Order: sequence, then structure tokens, then C-alpha cells
Amino acid sequence: MIQISHLAKRYGHVTALGDVSFSIRPGEVLGLIGPNGSGKTTLFECLAGVLPADGGVVLRNGQPLPVHDRSSAFFYLPDGIAPWPQQKVRWVLEFAKGFFEGRPRGPAEAGHYVQTFDLEPLLDARIGELSKGQRKRVLLVLGLLTPAPVLLADEPFDGLDLKQTREIGAALRSFARDGRTLFLSIHQIGDAARFCDRFVLLSGGHVCGEGTLDEITRRAETVRHARTDNLEDAFLALT
Amino acid sequence: MRSRRSPFSWLLEKEARELFASRSWWVMLLVIGPLVGVSFISAVRTYAEASGLNGTAAGVGEAFSPLVGVWAPTFSACEIAAAFLLPFVAIRLVSGDRQSGALKLELQHPMTALARISAKALVLLGAWLAAIAAPLLAVVLWRAYGGSLYGPELWTILAGHILNAGLTVALAAATASLAEHPSTAAILTLTVTVGTWIVNFIAAVQGGVWDRIAAYTPTAMVAQFQHGLVRLDVVLIALTFVGAGLAIAATWMRLGVAIRRRASESFAVAALAGALVTACTFVTPSWDWSENRMNSFPEADEATLKQIHGPLRIEAHLAPEDPRRADLERRALSKLRRAMPRVQVDYVSATSIGLFEQTSAHYGEIWYELNGKRAMTRATTADSVLETIYDLAGVNPPPETDDVFRGHPLAVPPKGAAAVFYGIWPALVVAAAFFVRRRSV
Repeated sequence: MIQISHLAKRYGHVTALGDVSFSIRPGEVLGLIGPNGSGKTTLFECLAGVLPADGGVVLRNGQPLPVHDRSSAFFYLPDGIAPWPQQKVRWVLEFAKGFFEGRPRGPAEAGHYVQTFDLEPLLDARIGELSKGQRKRVLLVLGLLTPAPVLLADEPFDGLDLKQTREIGAALRSFARDGRTLFLSIHQIGDAARFCDRFVLLSGGHVCGEGTLDEITRRAETVRHARTDNLEDAFLALT
Repeated sequence: MRSRRSPFSWLLEKEARELFASRSWWVMLLVIGPLVGVSFISAVRTYAEASGLNGTAAGVGEAFSPLVGVWAPTFSACEIAAAFLLPFVAIRLVSGDRQSGALKLELQHPMTALARISAKALVLLGAWLAAIAAPLLAVVLWRAYGGSLYGPELWTILAGHILNAGLTVALAAATASLAEHPSTAAILTLTVTVGTWIVNFIAAVQGGVWDRIAAYTPTAMVAQFQHGLVRLDVVLIALTFVGAGLAIAATWMRLGVAIRRRASESFAVAALAGALVTACTFVTPSWDWSENRMNSFPEADEATLKQIHGPLRIEAHLAPEDPRRADLERRALSKLRRAMPRVQVDYVSATSIGLFEQTSAHYGEIWYELNGKRAMTRATTADSVLETIYDLAGVNPPPETDDVFRGHPLAVPPKGAAAVFYGIWPALVVAAAFFVRRRSV
């Protein structure tokens, strides 16, 4: 269990994250939902330790998890990056496995990721030549090859078509069943509702809801004083 | 499956691959060949013309030292490449990760920032060694022409250019790590480079403390190595700057650390480097690796000077831009400082060019003070300086010997050099770039 408590981040006078608290449970697919500028990316970067937070604490099983040790818990996949653009996909995946000292895996398991994310035809392409969706799939495999128990993926379905979104969403759920925890930032609420076990609603740098779909809709109903049976309505009611 | 390798070796491989993928490195390799070619061909031609006057005579032998006649100008191409090409290669390697977003991924490995920057520095060192193959080709050609080679001076000049490249890499890495954008880093790097030239210019005009500072600029450092002189203080100061630059680069690569903390750590590194540099200026050992001992008095004179223990004070009434002052410095005082540890030299002048001081009664005088005795001459040659010191010390000058460096004249044209540097080298670089980028990247 990972507990995020009172996490705060300011950019000058702008509060990007104000007193953010929630928890991440092992083996779950947790969705981070929020409008543009709500602080989703900032939250992920602060958790991964690639951006300094101004306050707050991250606890793992009740023990503080210092910034320099965050990589033992999290691996963060930023959105919109094209790392090592001149390198071929095949080498990038090998590098990820070797550099991040991934758990010893047979070629079958690595091959399974490649097959699941349909990367076989892309292995000899350069990262810089890939489309946004293709790059996204490569990055997801890269993240899965690292040993961190919690994968933080910023907009994992951005750039994917409907079929790919569904296939990859289903694959991610199966990896979660195998023990990997996934924390996904998703702005398409429909996608989030389809793939996530629980949700953290973020608006203006504040958590305005956390829980399963049932818990969130119930809370929304108390706010709206009206029946709320989907995540979109609940999100609008709570943010 | 590959055998288990350390994360550092993976990082090293990644940096090497990024270098191979970088156009700036291939452009540097491509350009350095013709640059070396121009310098080498022109130097060999001049050397041959001078040698064509049926050899040399004692006294002008220095002109026929391959170190000064061929290697200093040939390797000066490396100085140009280090100032104007290498920074872009280094900035590309450091900034590239930040620009592409790769840094955010790599930072999630618990490797120290110093290890990360070391991997980049090692690969850049390799990149520079590959570029230095061009002047080494000139060495091969020179041998083929029947030219004389003196290993120690060649190694010295090579070491000087590697150290100079180290300074460039450290500076470029620091600016690339500090700046958000590579173009800002390039501007900052070139600003520092031009700044050191301005220091040299001010030193030439103002003298004094500027002169002392200018002795440690990359240009001055390379000039010393190109004359076969290795000064321990200069080497230590250069290494301190390299270490400080890389440490600052490593500090600013840690995106997860608060900017205030990174800034205070950088100030601490700068303060420590400043203290080390100050301490290093008191280090005096130096070595003259030139074949003709151009930075030293004859051995017999050095032995005699070592017997003179009293502090020697020299007061020269010469303006910074007076050519006599440069003569005195180059021919005598720089050698004297190496031979006698207790020498204090003071320059006195009211103007920088000295033109309007010529009518002053004392202008041009050089006063020597040793053990309470004083003497004055206006001569700036090594012989006159030594003679005055021996007179003051009351020691007999050593007997003159015939052991004079007569040089290595070589009257041959730079045959084949144009084909090598303007044709074969660029063709090989283009072919290698095509092959390597296609195969390994």
C-alpha cells in the first residue's frame, strides 16, 4: 500500500498541487482523472521524483519513501516524449531491460509484451519515426520491462485508436492481475471508467474524489442531490 | 539473452549510440580533416622553403624545430575545432536527453548524477580522440617525408589538446545542463570562450594581474603545450575546471532536486574550485619536453642559477605592449622563473603602449636586485639577463658549449597531403557515417 499525504507543488504563485492525499493499492488499476491543467502530470512527476515537490510525504507500507528511493516503487512514463529518437525500438527495449535492471525474464515474457502491444513490425524502426500511438505502445512496453511495482502512465491511451485502446486496456488489466499496479492518468473519462478499478479525481490541484465508481457516484449524488450513474456526471458534480 | 551487464555499461553504450547518431560529431570529424590539412600543408611548405636555404646555423636552429614549425600550426586546427565544433557535439549529447524526454526516464534509475555525466564525458573523450586522428595522420605523412619526430614533444602537444578538449566538454556540459535549450547553452559556451580571449587581450594591454589570470586561459595553456612546456599548476587548474564543470553539469541534471538546492550546491562547487585554483597557483614544478629546450636556459646555466639562493627582484620599466617586454618575458624571464624559484618580477609603466614614455629617463630600464646589490641594463636577451645575474651573484658564468640544437631541416613539399586531408579523410568520414548510422543506430 502506498499512501500519498499532503503533496504540494507551486510554480511561483500558481498552485499546481495543493495538499493532495490518496492511496495506491497493490495490484489495482487506479485512474487519475482531471481536466487539462488540473495537475495530473505534476502529480506523477513529483511521485516519480523527477520534479521536486514543495511538501508532503509518500509512505510505502507506512514508511516514508524518500525521493532518491522512489524508483524502487514507481516508474513514470511521461506523455508526449520521444526518447532516444535515433535509436531502434528493438535496442530501446533491450536498453530499458538492461539499464533499469528489470527482473530476469525469459525472451518469452519480453516477447509476450511485444506481441501484446503489436510491436513486432516496429522493432527495426527508429523511435523518432513512430507515430504518437506507436510511440505510446513502445513506452508502455518499456515501462512494463522495468522492475518498479507501480507504473505511472501519463495518458496511456492518447494517440491510440479505439481498437488499440480496448486491446491495450485489456492487456494492462491482465498485467495488473499478475501483480503490477497501474496508475493511469486519463482525460477520456469513458476509457477510465472502462479500465480502472478505482479513481482519483483531481481538479485545480486538489483531490475532489477518490474511490471506486460506486463510491464516487454516491458521493456525487450527495453533492448534486440527484441520481448519478456514470463517472462523467460524477466527475462534473465533484469538480 | 545478453549476459548481465552493469547499468553504467548500458548507459555508456547508449551515449556512444547517441554520439554516432549525432550529426554534429560527424560534421566535426568531416571538418577537422581539411582544417588540419590547411595548417599542415602550409606549415610543411614554409618549413621546406626555410630548409631549402641549405640547412641552418646555430642561433636560428629554433626555426627548424618540427614542434614550432610543423606541429604547433598543424595541431592549432584542433584548437579551432575545440572552440567552435566540439561544444556543439557536447551540448547535443547533454541537451538531447532533456529535449527528447529521455532524461526523465533515465533519472528514474538510482544512479548518481556524477556517474551519468561521467558516461557522457567518457564518450566525448572518445569522440575527441577520434577527431585527433586527423593530426596524427599528419604525423604519419611527416614521417613518410623523412621528417624528424621527437616523441616527448608530440605527446605533450597531444596532452595539451586533450586537456583543452576536456575544458570545452566540461564547460559545454555545464551550460547544457543549466540551460533549458541547447541554443542558450551554445551561446553561453561561446560567451565564456570569447570571454577568455578578452582576458588575453586585456592582459596584453594592461598587464599586471590580468597577465597572471591570462596564463590560465585555454589559449595560453595550449600555447604552452605547443611549446613543449608542461606546467603542473596549469595542468592542475585545468583539471579543477574540468571537474567543477562536470560537477555543475551533474548537479543540474537532477531535475528532481529543488532549484534552490541545486544553485547552492553549484555555488559550493564553484567556491571549492576557486579555492583549489588559488592553491594551485602556488605550485611551481614544470617540465620542458621540447627537443630544443626552448623553454629553458642551457643546462650549464640552469645548474649555475640553482646555486644562487638569494631572492632575485627584477623591475622592468616596460609597458605591456612594448615588444621589448614580450622579448624579455619569452627569451629570459619565463625561463628564469623555471630555473630560480625565488624570482619576483615587477613591471612598471604609466601607459599600456609605452610610446609616450620613451622620453622618460627611466623608461626601458631593467633593474636587478640580488643580495642587496643592484644593477641595471636595457638589454632583453637571455645572455644579457644571465650575465647581469651572474655579476650580481658573483659567480662565474659556465663555459660555453657547442651543444646547440641545430634543428631538423627538411626541404620536401607536402606530397599527397592534399589528397589525404581534402579527399580521402572526408570520403572516409562520410562512408563511416553512412555505415555506422545505418548499421548500429
